[in-house]
Amino acid sequence: MHDFLQQLVNGLSLGAIYALIALGYTMVYGIIELINFAHGDVYTLGTFFSLSILTLLGVSNQLHGAALFVDVAVAVVGAMVLCGLTGVIIERLAYRRLRNAPRLAPLITAIGVSFILENIMQWWRGPSPVSFPQVIPNPGWAIGGIEIQAKQLMVIVFAIVMMVALQVFIYNTKLGKAMRATAQDRDAAQLMGININATIALTFLIGSALAGAAGFVSGVYYQSTWFFNGFNAGLKAFTAAVLGGIGNLAGAMLGGFCIGIVEALTNLKIFPSGNQWSNVVVFSVLVLVLIFRPSGLLGESLPEKV
Amino acid sequence: MDFASLRRPIAGVALIVALAACSGGTGGGTPSGNTIKIGIDLPVSGADASIGVTTQNGAVMAIEQAEKKGLPGGLHLQADALDDAVQGVHSPQQGASNTRTFISDDNVLGMIGPFNSNVAKAEIPLTNEAGLVQVSPSNTNDGLTIGPDAASLRRSNPTVNSYFRVCTIDSRQGAAGAQFARKLKFSRAYILDDNETYGLGLANVFEADFKKLGGTVLGHDHITKNQQDFKALLTKIAATHPDVIFFGGTTSNGGGLIRKQMFDAGMNNVAYMGGDGISDPEFLTVAGTTADGSYYTVAAPNAQKLPSAQQFVKDYQARWNSPVGPYSASAYAAAQAIIAAIDKAIRQNGNKMPTRAQVLKNVAATSGLQTPIGTVGFDKYGDSTNPILSLWTIRGGKADFVNQLNLKT
Repeated sequence: MHDFLQQLVNGLSLGAIYALIALGYTMVYGIIELINFAHGDVYTLGTFFSLSILTLLGVSNQLHGAALFVDVAVAVVGAMVLCGLTGVIIERLAYRRLRNAPRLAPLITAIGVSFILENIMQWWRGPSPVSFPQVIPNPGWAIGGIEIQAKQLMVIVFAIVMMVALQVFIYNTKLGKAMRATAQDRDAAQLMGININATIALTFLIGSALAGAAGFVSGVYYQSTWFFNGFNAGLKAFTAAVLGGIGNLAGAMLGGFCIGIVEALTNLKIFPSGNQWSNVVVFSVLVLVLIFRPSGLLGESLPEKV
Repeated sequence: MDFASLRRPIAGVALIVALAACSGGTGGGTPSGNTIKIGIDLPVSGADASIGVTTQNGAVMAIEQAEKKGLPGGLHLQADALDDAVQGVHSPQQGASNTRTFISDDNVLGMIGPFNSNVAKAEIPLTNEAGLVQVSPSNTNDGLTIGPDAASLRRSNPTVNSYFRVCTIDSRQGAAGAQFARKLKFSRAYILDDNETYGLGLANVFEADFKKLGGTVLGHDHITKNQQDFKALLTKIAATHPDVIFFGGTTSNGGGLIRKQMFDAGMNNVAYMGGDGISDPEFLTVAGTTADGSYYTVAAPNAQKLPSAQQFVKDYQARWNSPVGPYSASAYAAAQAIIAAIDKAIRQNGNKMPTRAQVLKNVAATSGLQTPIGTVGFDKYGDSTNPILSLWTIRGGKADFVNQLNLKT
């Protein structure tokens, strides 16, 4: 039981990172039905951006007091802004012209954009792993024998706050309403005076900004990254989005946590050498869920998608 | 989402990849001109670069020195170096494609490499078919030369062995690792590997030998490709209270991240040990300050300590302006074996361009060759007759020599 709870905590923090990336996948899919394969690479870009900002600020070690909050805030916001802009540029250059093309064209383009981003990052930061400073203090607590570290808590809280903020934005603001309208019926929305291009650009801005934030969080969490990192994380996050019901924000979150937890639980003692089966188990869960609930765990429960 | 619409493009991509993998011809004609080339296939970019480049430097230097000294018959010698890393990691497909490039160039009479055992598995059938001699500085997997695995690699020419190596094999590296671990008073070990030809083989040998020497193996797990988060796995391991975690695998497959995350899982005082797969400077970059207290074996002697290596170390530093890597001397020795064979073949051929078959025959007959790693010779399997291994540890962020063993049987 103790092992189970401990692995649950490990799974939650791993899942939180998947969930943050999955939010971006699901938003873009919700509004233009495009699987943005470049999203995982925007996430890696976020780690590199925040690393560059921290280097500019002269941070190479653990921070304390006011400097901790200021520098972390600058790095997170900076990475979010830069990634958001990257997302908008990608949408403008690669996807907008293909908006009315057959669905395969933007899909292949997305794979192409992913390759371009990977190679830009390889050229910029080199093909080797790059280490990331441990900026936040990392004390650990034991609650009833279950250990949790500050950085695990940070990742989980960060993901939940982001999702709630996004939910509030989409359901309680005018821009959010415009996004929902665009998702439901693009032509009708345009007739109602909604600027479609601006709304879709905004979706990419927010989705990519979230990837930027996730990039910072994962940099702090793993203290290392490399240019190809987004491929695997992107694949898992995409799976999370599909598992939860693609197009559904709460579903992306739930899917991310589910996948993180399933992955961690394969390391329970009752599964000897379970770690090597983690991917098999994750994708088997996905297949099973899609057989019984083709639109994902939460896909059918909400009438509107964003 | 619509999966049916995805299926077709994926099949198309797979077809293109398959076609690309099949292209490339087989050569085997007679060399023209008066330049003999020696192919070098090593990973020199990405996470493997830190160990690949120093290895390549050793081989290139041997070829340059031989060219300077001159070959008989006024022939020239030239290195043809290719990279087998793709997206930053050694790739069997790329290794095979490089090997085809060498084979289709008639002037290539020998080949140095590869660095990784799984790449060798993809290359040996090609050099075997073409009769091109191949000498690896660092492949340690047993199955490349011995037993049914090796026989299946030599399917197209079962009577010909074209593959040799100057380093020792994993059954000896694993045995040395287990002996060193027991000498360091580790009695409880947890074993991990990266599920590759090299890593899994090494881990299995270590496990068997560690048990034989009276140690307890608490468990054996395999990590997955591109895995970044080892927290859950290490949490499970921490609960078994090991003295040491043994990792069979390479830094590029997670060897550094595991060491780093051991601290997150509360295993600050548990030692970490591996084979030559984590002997690269990359390991220090990834593991950072947590690298201290790690041990690794290298399937080569400590070049700095061997009297026969002093001149090599001096020359290397003068030529490359950087310190010698773990496999530089081995690559130099591999090149020496090929160069000596070419030299002999030219003389046998009346100071004319020799053929691949002649060079291959001479390499196979190598014995008592003086190299920076001691006397090199090959047994009937193509393995080195001089199995020296060394143990290293990380202290204060630097590799530090501990001990070496000669496992001559």
